[in-house]
Amino acid sequence: MALNLVHRHVLDDHISGFETGKNPNHLSVARRPVIFSVLALQGRDGDVGAALSSVAGFSVRCSGPGEWLIVSDTIGPEAAAGALAAIDGATFADQSDGKVLMALYGPSARKILAKCVAVDLHRDVFAKGYSASMLCCQVASNVMRTMDDQFEIILPRSYAGFVFETMMEMGREYALTAGFASP
Amino acid sequence: MSSFRLDAGGLVNRSDALSFSFDGKSFTGFSGDTLASALLANDQMLVGRSFKYHRPRGVVTAGSAEPNALVTVGAGARAEPNARATMVELHSGLSAVSQNRFPSLKHDFGAVNGLLSPFLGAGFYYKTFMWPKPFWEKVYEPLIRRAAGLGKVTLAADPDRYEKSWAHCDLLVVGGGPAGLMAALAAARAGARVILADEGFRFGGSMLSETVTIGGLPAQDFVRQTIEELATLANVTLMPRTTVFGWYDDMVFGAVERVQKHVSQPSADLPMERLWRIVARRAILSSGAEERPLVFGGNDRPGVMTANAARTYLNRYGVAVGSRVAVFTNGGSGYRTASDLVARGIEVTAIVDARQTAQDTVPDGVRVIRNGSIISTKGRHRLSGIITARSGFEEVISCDALAMSGGWSPIVHLMCQRGAKPVWSDEAQGFMAPDVGAGFVAAGSAAGVERLSDCLRDGAAKGAASAAALGFAPYDVNTPDVEGEYDPSFAPLWYVPGARDKAFVDFQNDVAVSDLGLSQREGFSHIEHTKRYTTAGMATDQGKLGNVATIGIVAGMRGVSPAEIGTTTFRPFYTPVSFGALAGAERAEHLRPVRTSPLHGWAKKNGASFVESGLWYRSAWFVRAGETGWRESVDREVRAVREAVGICDVSTLGKIEIFGSGAAEFLNRIYSNSFLKLPVGKARYGLMLREDGMVSDDGTTSRLSDSHYVMTTTTAYAGEVLAHMEFAAQTFWPDLDVRFVSTSDQWAQMSIAGPKARVVLSRIVEDDISAQALPLLGARTVTLKGGLQARLFRISFSGELAFELAVPAGYGESVADALMDAGRDAGITAYGVEALNVLRIEKGFVTHSELDGRTTADDVGLGRMMAMQKPDFIGKRLSTRFGLTAADRLQLVGLKPVEIDKEFKAGAHLLKENATPSMANDQGFVSSVCHSPTLGHCIGLAMLKSGRERLGERIHVWDGLRGTDVVAEVCSPVFVDPDATRLHL
Repeated sequence: MALNLVHRHVLDDHISGFETGKNPNHLSVARRPVIFSVLALQGRDGDVGAALSSVAGFSVRCSGPGEWLIVSDTIGPEAAAGALAAIDGATFADQSDGKVLMALYGPSARKILAKCVAVDLHRDVFAKGYSASMLCCQVASNVMRTMDDQFEIILPRSYAGFVFETMMEMGREYALTAGFASP
Repeated sequence: MSSFRLDAGGLVNRSDALSFSFDGKSFTGFSGDTLASALLANDQMLVGRSFKYHRPRGVVTAGSAEPNALVTVGAGARAEPNARATMVELHSGLSAVSQNRFPSLKHDFGAVNGLLSPFLGAGFYYKTFMWPKPFWEKVYEPLIRRAAGLGKVTLAADPDRYEKSWAHCDLLVVGGGPAGLMAALAAARAGARVILADEGFRFGGSMLSETVTIGGLPAQDFVRQTIEELATLANVTLMPRTTVFGWYDDMVFGAVERVQKHVSQPSADLPMERLWRIVARRAILSSGAEERPLVFGGNDRPGVMTANAARTYLNRYGVAVGSRVAVFTNGGSGYRTASDLVARGIEVTAIVDARQTAQDTVPDGVRVIRNGSIISTKGRHRLSGIITARSGFEEVISCDALAMSGGWSPIVHLMCQRGAKPVWSDEAQGFMAPDVGAGFVAAGSAAGVERLSDCLRDGAAKGAASAAALGFAPYDVNTPDVEGEYDPSFAPLWYVPGARDKAFVDFQNDVAVSDLGLSQREGFSHIEHTKRYTTAGMATDQGKLGNVATIGIVAGMRGVSPAEIGTTTFRPFYTPVSFGALAGAERAEHLRPVRTSPLHGWAKKNGASFVESGLWYRSAWFVRAGETGWRESVDREVRAVREAVGICDVSTLGKIEIFGSGAAEFLNRIYSNSFLKLPVGKARYGLMLREDGMVSDDGTTSRLSDSHYVMTTTTAYAGEVLAHMEFAAQTFWPDLDVRFVSTSDQWAQMSIAGPKARVVLSRIVEDDISAQALPLLGARTVTLKGGLQARLFRISFSGELAFELAVPAGYGESVADALMDAGRDAGITAYGVEALNVLRIEKGFVTHSELDGRTTADDVGLGRMMAMQKPDFIGKRLSTRFGLTAADRLQLVGLKPVEIDKEFKAGAHLLKENATPSMANDQGFVSSVCHSPTLGHCIGLAMLKSGRERLGERIHVWDGLRGTDVVAEVCSPVFVDPDATRLHL
């Protein structure tokens, strides 16, 4: 029996046909991001952190002491796993299906996100490239500022529907639209 | 427009007329009005009835301390009771109605209470309505509640949206008056991130009501210029219509923004109100000061208001509060009000000054009665005159409004909400803000500063100091000169003797001086007791206007200083906050986060009924056409698993990946049973204990490689188990090289159970999954046909041949569909957690119904899992305590009814035959019950004293809650396949 297995995004039912165009404030959901949890073994935090930031194609987010999330839209999961396996002192788990990655951008992105997280998002405090674990819409998430007016949120798959609906509600004031990111 | 709206002046927009209604009558006001100013402009002085005596009441203030002018704004689901007319921003179409009156505001039957007032003093209901006892709840209280009260809340669902948001700043300035504006300006110019919040819809505070010039500009122009500058600064956030209502730990302030309360047609895209959590490094309280009313006979007559209110209505709104106004004062504020009234052509009939001498400027032609007092007032629905007394001489003075001034009290509430008490000042004759540290200071009148120029200076200095303390470069703000200001100092006057009528100290609660006297006589002398006994300082205004006078009068009655009396306790909220704002978007289905499984869609299309399990929505059972009840579905699902094959979503189980060279040793210590020698490719059931020896959670852990394990936990305890493991690794055994990460969301996991499970599964798995290749408790990575990598575990929670297949979550639905296709001819059936529960009860497997935090491993028949030969594991030491090994502990047993058609329920207690139900006779309880479709009758698991020794005994299953008593036989908890032959197929 040949299987033709289809991959479904957890937000397929929330987004399909939801919007036709993008407004300046937009929530862009990555369809198949590569996301890994990386943990440094005992005493190897510094080495692993340094090694991770040197891998081309990895966007590294701090998720705790000796813990990172790495995201890539240029490297496939097998290649990413291979690159991680080559880092001495690192151990890792594929989370590409367990996490949802959303990019919130636009002139009001910070104001919208301020309704969802308790962290100070001012650019002097949470600058471009900063990332941290925090509650977003009551859900444990990782938030990174990727541009002045753009943030990426990584959250557990099972909560994604709830967080997505809440963020859209918080964005109504600013005509927030949503859609899957272009491949 | 009306006789009370002046032809010019004020900050209202006379080109923007707004129509509104009050008690069904149409009126017109202007943009920039409050409901109160618009009503006064329309000669509507009577706005409400008092709480207890139903006395006619009018507007007393022009701000948030208003005790009287409480109205219901809006209608239907949007009706908002107890809105302060002084704070309601007028908008076109606004409709308001008065409260606590029947049939009308002018003619209120409840006014009869006033005639009975001699019998209705403080605490009358405590003494009067004592007998017969049952009458209190059934008769007296309902009657009292109907006779008294404020507005009525609507029970209709609120149609509006609400939100919450966070804000962060270097400096939060609470109050946009003279001190607040200057503080914000000074700190902002220094570069600090500043939030300036004000409860009003226009910044400026008292300056909006002033006739002085500031820096050569009229006060209102100075305000506009300052706000314009602040608005241009990127580091400043202006928050009008925002009441900072609470000060909490870690410099978090609660504030509520009235986003759309002032608009005729609310936008569906905007919240009605927004709740702010403001995190500030420093804060300045510049909330100003409240003018105290004077306490004299008849001081609640409509038309009697504070002098500051009269001046505000005049200068800010262009409204005269009367055509012939009298003034009663003990300080400069009364004179300033009289001057402003005269300047606008309003007749001032007299200034009654309680002081013997005063340096204040008397307006030309106005009579001053020094050392005078007012002992009564005249008029019904509006003041028509006052009766003054001086040296025994009484005189009636005609007037239609009275502006009173009893001095000023700094508004210090926010700074007292975290335990600090206000400090009495003899010099200022008021309670001052306490010292709560440099992080939060008062400025301007809130700090007891009296003159406007001093307030501007104080605000600027404290704003600059706050910025400097945070490391910003000092910025010197030139404080502008003020011309035309007056001296607001006053002499203390708590109570005007000789009252001919009730002299109210708390208008909102109808508390008169006589009530305070009664409380002192009856022993309720502590100010907290006085408050509770008299109700002074209760209800929606929480005594903002009357508390200080209450304290002053009680001090006078006891012959001590107000410092000795002290204040009652300040708590959030400063003013009432709607439930909608507090709830924000977290209502209905968004009350709390929802978790859905990767197989949620698959379950839905297969007819699942869902049940909330923590935050998860889990499939409870799957309805098929023709089935009339859940039991029918569950029975069918159980039979399918026992006879053919079923598929169940177990994705919600916690999954924790464990890495590191110390992982094996760690597991050996965290579990009570041995894990050190678990081979790669095998799974093992594990039992976790708490330090006290009780079972905390169970699950399976599989070894995927030498230093890589994956643990499953129960759905409910996934978070707790991970936290427990992190705690143990970081604090107990930091020397172990072990790391954890949750992958609960990464995998869609399904249990395929039943005698035909292997046949069906093998149709989609490439690998050999025969009993030899994958024996019981085998765990390995497999490849599905089509190439997808998956994890396969041969574990069972049903007692049948079973596998758990884990695939990346995004493929879960598709793989489950494939399994349904592959198993169609085998009769594959989706089953939910109800059937899962029946299957495990039939097998005597425990869940948290049995592992309830009070049971040891031995209690639930898992004593063999206590590997006491291990050097140590969590729970080992305390599990050997005598109490935990006693022979008469409750032990897990099975129960089946003697009469096969009888049923019992979980929670029922166990009694020996002929024993009466009592704690002493209690033999245990039923933990889990189901109808077993396999056996055809009810079965249960129970915790019974020395249970394992009592198999075969008959026992009463007594359910006092449901009124049943069923005789059952104690039996083994394993009802089906006791030799576990099905498991080994």
